[in-house]
Amino acid sequence: MLKSKSVQIYNRFLRGLVFLFLTAVALGILIPVIWMILCAFKPQTQIIGYPPRFFPESFTLENFTSVFKRIKLAGYLRNSVIYALGTTIPSLFVNSLAGYAFARMEFKGKNVLFILTLATMMIPFQVIMVPLFLGVYNLGLYDTYAGLILPKIASAVSIFMMRAAFAPLPVELEEAARIDGVSEFGIYWRIMLPQVKPALITLAILGINNAWNDLLWPLLVTSSTQMRTLTNGLALFVGENTIQYGASFAGAFISIIPMLFVYLFGQKYFVQGTATTGLK
Amino acid sequence: MKANGKTGDYRQRTSKMAWIFVTPAVILLSVFTIFPMIASLIMGFWDVDIFLAGAKFIGFGNFKEALRDDRFLNSIWVTIKFTLIEVPTQMLTGLLLAALITRNSISNKLFRGIYFMPIICSATAVGIMWRMFLNSQIGLFTHFLEQFGLRNLNFLNSTTLTFYVIVFMSVWKTFGISTIILVSAMQNVSADLYEAADLDGCSKVKQFFAITLPLIKPTVVFVLMTRLIGSLQVFDLIFTTTGGGPNFTTESMVTYIYTRAFSTSTRLGYASALSEFLFALILVITVILYGKMYMKENT
Repeated sequence: MLKSKSVQIYNRFLRGLVFLFLTAVALGILIPVIWMILCAFKPQTQIIGYPPRFFPESFTLENFTSVFKRIKLAGYLRNSVIYALGTTIPSLFVNSLAGYAFARMEFKGKNVLFILTLATMMIPFQVIMVPLFLGVYNLGLYDTYAGLILPKIASAVSIFMMRAAFAPLPVELEEAARIDGVSEFGIYWRIMLPQVKPALITLAILGINNAWNDLLWPLLVTSSTQMRTLTNGLALFVGENTIQYGASFAGAFISIIPMLFVYLFGQKYFVQGTATTGLK
Repeated sequence: MKANGKTGDYRQRTSKMAWIFVTPAVILLSVFTIFPMIASLIMGFWDVDIFLAGAKFIGFGNFKEALRDDRFLNSIWVTIKFTLIEVPTQMLTGLLLAALITRNSISNKLFRGIYFMPIICSATAVGIMWRMFLNSQIGLFTHFLEQFGLRNLNFLNSTTLTFYVIVFMSVWKTFGISTIILVSAMQNVSADLYEAADLDGCSKVKQFFAITLPLIKPTVVFVLMTRLIGSLQVFDLIFTTTGGGPNFTTESMVTYIYTRAFSTSTRLGYASALSEFLFALILVITVILYGKMYMKENT
């Protein structure tokens, strides 16, 4: 009896230790993020004042007005929205359509096409970026939305995700519709697609997040300030203006707000998508 | 069998529809992935700039030059060193944290939510944040260390320290991926096994090594593989913090390829040849890992 009590105390002590450790890791993430957000609201004098403090003594919005004035942040935001939605919306359609055909239809050459699609998963973007750039440039799509968006629509990973989502649906669903004379496209669009909503939402959330945070491709394929997206416009601004602390804080904060909201409402889908695709 | 003609007709019809269904994806993948892959294999043997004018076939010229290019060899070394330190650190962090937050309690869910947060932030935002946090004048962390007498630490401009700062930032930004994937794998391990082990008086640590780890091994290999491939392509965090400096100590392969193709010069043929080295490296590691997994499964 006595011994089991000391074991209990020991276990509680261990659990406390684990909790402290987990909290420390969490603080290691939260402290720099919160500090950055707070600094976005500090006047320049407080940011550079010694010693640096965590909490602001007074709040200001001057960093936000300055970042909108100094760099074309509104334009960058617009381009990021166009890039994110412009790739995600067509990708939902194109990839689910292909995934549906691979999962539920028989056709000549299916296996060859399937293996070909599988093979593209093995090709890292960084390896093909140079010829891809050259192709886009010589197609006259350099510094255009089409050049930015078109290469990012089809994705083998998404096709496989959709295929996995369509595969287990009962065959009676399509047969009933077929007897009613619904066209093949109608079966996909009206009967089957609504059944895989969770997979579609996962794909949409991952797609928007990937495009919103994508740095490399927009960096290569856009050159004018009117075409820059948030990630690379901001990165280039900070690279050239190392002392614009306040504006940098504000810009970085603005750039993560939309994704924080997406995360807040779609955490479940983020986690599911990551577990199946492994992300980047 | 009498409906044979009809089903055959129907089969043909759906086969045609299936082709229409896959065509958009197939065209896009061919034009923007498969064709560039083939082109990159060819371009490595040519001297090409952006305008394609005066393209010249030079055989193995680019590849030979790459092997004598000190800056490129350095970038290979930086990339490999980065991968060898970053991936194990991240995997061990992920395994440890995942084991501690497997249970679905409220606090564990909160921890998971926080650990996953850096993944949804762009490398630009994370880069800016750490640049400021570690800044030698305004950085909160640098100031914190000063309290302990650690002065004049130049986190982002030191030929010895900065590399490890990049490794740390990368782990900080992405360990949530490994953690989350491993948590869901650990949750799928049957609770009966743990109960039996508890009855046998097996400690939690022993249970982890004897039950959990062997059962989630496929997931561990999956995470290991994706993280390895990801690490070999490291670019974003370097671009937004050091740009490869100081003195090329943080210049990865992709950073150098970017510089050669798009920044200080536009030698696309040479950059393609460099990309082939990266591809070969990724391929070798993938094949070795797959091979190991396959052989283990067959013994």
